[in-house]
Amino acid sequence: MNFDLSEERTLLKDSISRFVRDNYELESRIKHSQSSKGFSAENWNSIAELGWLALPFPEEDGGIGGNQIDTMVVMEEFGKGMVLEPYFASIVLGAGALRRGASDDMKEAMFEGVIDGSKQLALAYAESQARFDLHDVVSSAKQDGEDFVLNGNKCVVQNAETASHIIVSARTSGGQIDTDGISLFLIDVNSEGFELLNYPTVDGLRASEITLTNVRVNKTGVVGEVGAGFEILQAVANDAILALAAEAIGTMEMLYTDTIEYTQQRVQFDQKLSDFQVLQHRMVDMFMEYEQCKSLLYRATLEVVENREGAQRSVHALKHLIGKAGTFIAENAVQLHGGMGMTEELRIGHFFKRLTVIDMQFGNSDYHLEKFAA
Amino acid sequence: MDIELSKTDLEFQAEVRQFLSDNAYKPGEDYNKWRMNWFATAAAKGGWDVPKWPKEFGGPGWTPSQHYIWEREKAGKNLPWDLPFGIGMLAPVLMAHGNQKQLDRFMPDIRARKVIWCQGYSEPGAGSDLANLQTKAELTEDGKHYIVNGTKIWTTVAHMADWIFCLTRTSNTGKKQEGITFLLFPVKQEGVEVQPIITLGGAHTVNTVFLTDVKVPVENRIGEEGKGWTYAKGLLQHERTGLAGISNSLVALAKLKKNARSIIRGNGTLMDEPAFRSKVAELEVDLHALEYTELRSLANAAAGSDPGPESSILKLKGTEIQQRLAKLTVEAGGLHAAGWGQPVGPAFAHSGMQSYLGSRAYTIYGGASEVQRDVIAKNVLGLKKKSSEKTRTGKG
Repeated sequence: MNFDLSEERTLLKDSISRFVRDNYELESRIKHSQSSKGFSAENWNSIAELGWLALPFPEEDGGIGGNQIDTMVVMEEFGKGMVLEPYFASIVLGAGALRRGASDDMKEAMFEGVIDGSKQLALAYAESQARFDLHDVVSSAKQDGEDFVLNGNKCVVQNAETASHIIVSARTSGGQIDTDGISLFLIDVNSEGFELLNYPTVDGLRASEITLTNVRVNKTGVVGEVGAGFEILQAVANDAILALAAEAIGTMEMLYTDTIEYTQQRVQFDQKLSDFQVLQHRMVDMFMEYEQCKSLLYRATLEVVENREGAQRSVHALKHLIGKAGTFIAENAVQLHGGMGMTEELRIGHFFKRLTVIDMQFGNSDYHLEKFAA
Repeated sequence: MDIELSKTDLEFQAEVRQFLSDNAYKPGEDYNKWRMNWFATAAAKGGWDVPKWPKEFGGPGWTPSQHYIWEREKAGKNLPWDLPFGIGMLAPVLMAHGNQKQLDRFMPDIRARKVIWCQGYSEPGAGSDLANLQTKAELTEDGKHYIVNGTKIWTTVAHMADWIFCLTRTSNTGKKQEGITFLLFPVKQEGVEVQPIITLGGAHTVNTVFLTDVKVPVENRIGEEGKGWTYAKGLLQHERTGLAGISNSLVALAKLKKNARSIIRGNGTLMDEPAFRSKVAELEVDLHALEYTELRSLANAAAGSDPGPESSILKLKGTEIQQRLAKLTVEAGGLHAAGWGQPVGPAFAHSGMQSYLGSRAYTIYGGASEVQRDVIAKNVLGLKKKSSEKTRTGKG
């Protein structure tokens, strides 16, 4: 039994940690968030040059052959700075779907650019009526000769604005909530009939609503088998949850440690806030929730990597606790910072907003508790 | 015990409903004109523009149950915008401690909503521990002016305000609650610098106010020098009772349910999903209880006792309920609640996120929840404190 990171992964962790420390002062993050792309092109290039984009790709595809544990290391460190560059959208989501379903030709055409950062991906899986159900798909894809013709809407698509290609789920057969009959399509954002409505999200990132009007995709653009897209989506969603949970853990660590530091400095009633027992106990609770989340993260990640029975259930447990504990930690971090926690000046509030959004991504706390219990 | 409204109360309720519907804003109307007319019409009803003011100062002199009816009936209605600082916070202090000259000078403009007031209480080093405030007011040699120096923080609407009512320190001897003096002075003058503080979600409502050699005539002092703390304390209790927001929470709860029912899930709606439904139900239970805690407190008030410690229970529970309502609205919005700047998805998702972010301040300002619990521990349960933890009140 050993939960230590290997030497290689420890080096990786250190180098990402340095990158985040050097480039993710709150001021820089705000500046990049408000720039035209919504992130820093320079940072993105550095991330590519450092080889982190290649991590989860198999060696035969030009990657490093890493797995979800490597992604966990990356995302946890990214969470400490609320990194804006679309690692999650492009490498975990978009490329995650391609790694599982792309034909050899598609890999040939896409992977090099994705790994060197010149191409970016996004995954358009959500629809307004679906809430958190990946299999609730109304957007349709009808075959017409060599092409499929897509119509419908996708919502809250992260990184659609700067992606070169977007993987879209659409229904090729079956009813609205059938798991069979969903297909994934790799679509060039410049395709005719492909329209984006871009907007910022509350956590400083960007998303888009997508309207598909008779978008034509050649059948070579199908990712995986026609009608069998759900399995790929589900596997990508599990990866996504592991990655988001790791990011959340990094964020939670900053929240509870910043809070400890602040209460040790702030004096009211002639003593440090940290001397009040009621506040000490609150911080103990924050810390324990953080540790519990970390344990479930390890559990779920290892079970998924080793493809163990019960892995799916652990993923549900993880996402449930991340939402619940994240809310507890974030709300109390703000509370214990008092008025200062309510300002945009401190990073506390920014972490708070990011954790709030993480709870909504790929199913919120309630949704996964229900799945866990089912 | 009985909970029936009397015949007079029922008549009053009908009158309030009639008034609110007769004077409702009509689309297309000039807003400011409507607003001023609304207050004028309310004043003509006999002090309905200042419901909480006592009769001798031009208020309606309502009974506690009439206040309760007014609060419930107006919740969720489109009333003209108003700020609590002049009407609800300064006016009661003036009524209790101001001299006739001050009453004549300030009360009419407060009532007419002509002057915007802000509250200069908290300081960087004086949040929950408000009595620790250090903004200095020194009397000039001729005894005609105070010279004020210091920094106030979390000052709501200071950037729009004409005047500020300010707690200042005139003496450092004795207990720190002594030596605090209540001063009024204009914001738009030399020596007063207002710097915005941007809060979560990008809103600008609070400010830091820097005071440098601000000259304040002694006739702008309320009551006696060194007694400001006592005056402000009564005010804080007022502020807290008002912060429970029960009427608004009842309206917000109904809205939450309506919104959740608009989210279709299979053959039902989000309100049929077990986890969400049970959280809403638990919230409703707490709110129903708090409604009656408020009524019990009103009944005490009717019998002539002070708002007292119930005001801490109301503030504490009331604000936590408001926060839970906001959080559940965000949850109901699903993924779309993340949208910012440009509303996407269901309309309530966007405003829900704004409310959620803003609501986190409710348990911080007006006496943080931790402070309220201390007040209850000390004043209600009679639990003793270490001397250093005594007399905490004010803003977090």
